[in-house]
Amino acid sequence: MVRRLGELPEVEAKHLSPERLKCPTFDDTPLLSGKPLGARRVVIISTAGLHKRGDRPFDRDDGSYRVIPAETPASELVMSHISVNFDRTGFQQDHNVVFPIDRLRELTVDGTVGSMASVHYSFMGAFPVDAAEPHARHLAGMLKADKVDAALLVPV
Amino acid sequence: MGALGHFLERQGIPTAGISLVREHTEIIRPPRALWVTFELGRPLGKPDDAAFQTRVLRAQLDMLTRTDGPLLVDYPEHVEGEVDLTGWACPIGLAPRPGDTLGAEIARLTTWYDRAVAARARTTVGTSGLDMPAAGRLVTEALEGALPPALALKLAIDDLRAFYLEAASAFPDPGTSKTRKAWFWDETLFGKALLALQPKLAASADPNHKALGTLTMIPATERYRLETPT
Repeated sequence: MVRRLGELPEVEAKHLSPERLKCPTFDDTPLLSGKPLGARRVVIISTAGLHKRGDRPFDRDDGSYRVIPAETPASELVMSHISVNFDRTGFQQDHNVVFPIDRLRELTVDGTVGSMASVHYSFMGAFPVDAAEPHARHLAGMLKADKVDAALLVPV
Repeated sequence: MGALGHFLERQGIPTAGISLVREHTEIIRPPRALWVTFELGRPLGKPDDAAFQTRVLRAQLDMLTRTDGPLLVDYPEHVEGEVDLTGWACPIGLAPRPGDTLGAEIARLTTWYDRAVAARARTTVGTSGLDMPAAGRLVTEALEGALPPALALKLAIDDLRAFYLEAASAFPDPGTSKTRKAWFWDETLFGKALLALQPKLAASADPNHKALGTLTMIPATERYRLETPT
């Protein structure tokens, strides 16, 4: 259980310190309103460095994203995140603990959310912010084309 | 992760994220974030527990209808630490013997890896495009000769690491993910090969090799095992 950085062993707290990782700051935070959940089309955007087996793996300072069609079998999902400082055995056991596609599908079936995007996405979270921003801008256009109006951002 | 929330919301897509490190989210201030206390690498909390994962996902979805942010909500459920199996010993006689090789160790583990793949009907091995004997040879060549390109070496190492840990999950007494990771570093030739390879990479003039040696091969929690910890 990871409570606060101050409660972690020193080596881990130091590794995760906001100063070392240079967390970006923003002048303000936009918040959009929208339809009720039952009418929304939802996409999952992971930053776990996920992709289909055979797709181009992620590399250092890579701000781009990979495409994961909704029908991608779990057996085709792999992870090429450059960091070795997080657990991967959970993902090895059950992809949903990182990429909850089956849970989202169930919530679509029971009507909690309106529908699921036809395509989902993954970045690799260690990206420099400047490298990812143009890709995120491009991705927003792709999401609108898929009529997506809600994004679940899932880190690793 | 939080930066993506800013970028997408600004482009017209409402977002809700999960936060694994509250201090980061407090600085980045994304539109909506659900802070969870789960282990890094497990944002939905528990593998093979659909009900738990669904509760986390619902809490994340529920934030989407709110515009009174930036929102940082504390998720109320926690995952307690694994049972302490200090002293857990690998039940299979896989310990290296004099004259043993990385290739032979990989061969011994293959049957257990095959069992794990059959049980789960999937594997996370497969980013390098190499089979495991070839990945092992690449690591051996890196140790004994010229260093291959950093990305190829990194992907081969990642695949082997996944292969070892997936194989160990199929042992008759698999222990826990924590004990299996300790086994990987304490007992396997591959773990020792990575520790031996680190100084060579760190000393390389190639910045990609250097980054692999100093950042992206040995986890921060295991660097105390190095002769010269970084």
